[in-house]
Amino acid sequence: MTAVILDGIVLGLQFGLLGVGLTVVYGIGGVLNLAYGQLAVVAAIVMSITMRSGLATGPAVLAGISAAVAIALLLNFTILKPVYKRDDEDRVLLSLLLTIGVAFIIDGFLVWRYPIEALSLNIDWDPVSILGVRMRAGSLLASAITLLAGGALIFFFRTTTTGKAARSVIQDEVGARLCGVNPAAVRTLIFALSGVLAGLFATTQAMTSPVPISAGFDFTITALLVTVVGGLGSIRGAFLAGLILGVVNAMSSFYIGSYVTTIILLAAAALTIVVRPSGLFGAKA
Amino acid sequence: MTADERPVSEQSANHPPPGTISRESSRRTFLAIAAAGLALALVPIWIGGSRTLMGVAITGLLFASYAIAFNLIFGSTNQLFLAVGALAGVGAYTSAIISDRLGVPFPLTMVLASGLSMFIGGAFSWIAVRRSLGIIFTGIITLTFSLAFDNLLLGQRGLTGGETGIVVDAGSDTFLRNQIPPYYVFLILVLIYLIGYVLLHRSHIGWAFRALRDDEIAAELTGINVARYRIYAGAIGGGMLGFAGALWAHVEGFISPATFTFVHVDVPALVMLVFGGIGTVLGPVVGAAVFTYLGEVLASYSQLRLIADGILLIVLFLAFPQGVIRALGLRLNQLRASRKAAP
Repeated sequence: MTAVILDGIVLGLQFGLLGVGLTVVYGIGGVLNLAYGQLAVVAAIVMSITMRSGLATGPAVLAGISAAVAIALLLNFTILKPVYKRDDEDRVLLSLLLTIGVAFIIDGFLVWRYPIEALSLNIDWDPVSILGVRMRAGSLLASAITLLAGGALIFFFRTTTTGKAARSVIQDEVGARLCGVNPAAVRTLIFALSGVLAGLFATTQAMTSPVPISAGFDFTITALLVTVVGGLGSIRGAFLAGLILGVVNAMSSFYIGSYVTTIILLAAAALTIVVRPSGLFGAKA
Repeated sequence: MTADERPVSEQSANHPPPGTISRESSRRTFLAIAAAGLALALVPIWIGGSRTLMGVAITGLLFASYAIAFNLIFGSTNQLFLAVGALAGVGAYTSAIISDRLGVPFPLTMVLASGLSMFIGGAFSWIAVRRSLGIIFTGIITLTFSLAFDNLLLGQRGLTGGETGIVVDAGSDTFLRNQIPPYYVFLILVLIYLIGYVLLHRSHIGWAFRALRDDEIAAELTGINVARYRIYAGAIGGGMLGFAGALWAHVEGFISPATFTFVHVDVPALVMLVFGGIGTVLGPVVGAAVFTYLGEVLASYSQLRLIADGILLIVLFLAFPQGVIRALGLRLNQLRASRKAAP
């Protein structure tokens, strides 16, 4: 029981990290990036390839994260430009359709060039005992990285001027502009941040289970569910929702079975939307 | 994608805005449907000799019917149902399982199955209206249904055959399994859907659809029961999807989860509809025809297919956010206007 819950927490923290990357972009750009999971997969594949060609793990991880950031920025500066000229639901809808196209291109390219590539990072330290449960070092390291990243995010958004400016854009784009905040600059920063988070997620995932090239769509859906349950645009909500969904996932896949788990997760998300359309911490519906 | 986004030139003067069907223009619409039907009826003369190509053409018509139903739900009432494949799958699996397991005649089970899809479609709309979910949340909630349905199909091996799918016996001893007749059956279905679409939009329901799509609050204030008409659209569209899916199951004789996934049905249906023109009568058929043809041309480059699809999607949405039919129609109108102005 404890082991299952701990596993769920390890998973949930990562879900949260993944969700934050999607939710900040939605909150700030009003853009739903459905190619988000593919960013993580690209990061993973770049890590895998560079490591195979002899690069050490550290630099390879950096290379992977940079690749995700580069693609995120490329999207922000090219195909999303016309999207920003629209408002509200039109903006979300167009961004969603365009990024589906991007997801197809990335998936198609990976299937074409690297059909069997997958990233796994083996952490061969000794297992550590926590609450009487022997935890794999990989899981612990993944959780530690995620917690650090989460802490850094909260620090960034709560205390730094840039972070506060970013939050002001989430709350009210026009108001922020009137106060001298440049939404376009904030958007660029946040897109880069989402690339970093996608890359970090790929790294931590690979420490517990391999990341294949086909995982993009699943990652996006997971991020979307986390985001919706947590409340679009809420960072706290994303982490809490990630934890809840992670534990639910671990429990039901241990006690019930894997396909029912997915259905339970989906039902939980659907129920959250129906009962509380703004999510656990969402400001706006 | 709302009405007020359209260029003024298109909305003005003697041409009614697209989507509006006046009595005079509806005669032209029926003529256009007849012409499209005639053109499509000639397709088997061209490719009737090849079983593979006929199969492709039938799939094209299947997607045309999906796109028409999706057009009714999304184009007419702004409800983004990302469960096109799932609703069709509900129809297909229900009809196949009931007819094969219980020995009920399949025409009856097809009606039952589309009733179930109709109920689910209506329920989506009811939930969306009740909780006043916007386009995006309606999209996400229907997407979760799509994914859950896919998992259910994979999980319930005993009933659905899991990933490998099931062979559908019902219908195997009829003309539905011949090479050419099912094409015409599907063509008739598409024509019925098109005529139904036009008739629906000519009725008071169509007026309500246009009002609530253009401005929901204004529609509500003029006394239109927005909830009821949304549910009409969701239920009718859902039923259309379920029936098309069920017919496909009995024609093809084999169904598997892959036939109804979000990626294989919803995304292409959305692309076809947007390419043809959301809210236009023949847009879905034009989109389905063009993409079926393109798909066949690109089939030999199957490895690059996904990339090509992605590029196409992006280019299309950036270049023709209002659809090709409207883009072309707009050019014609401009030409006519400039000619009038010239002398």
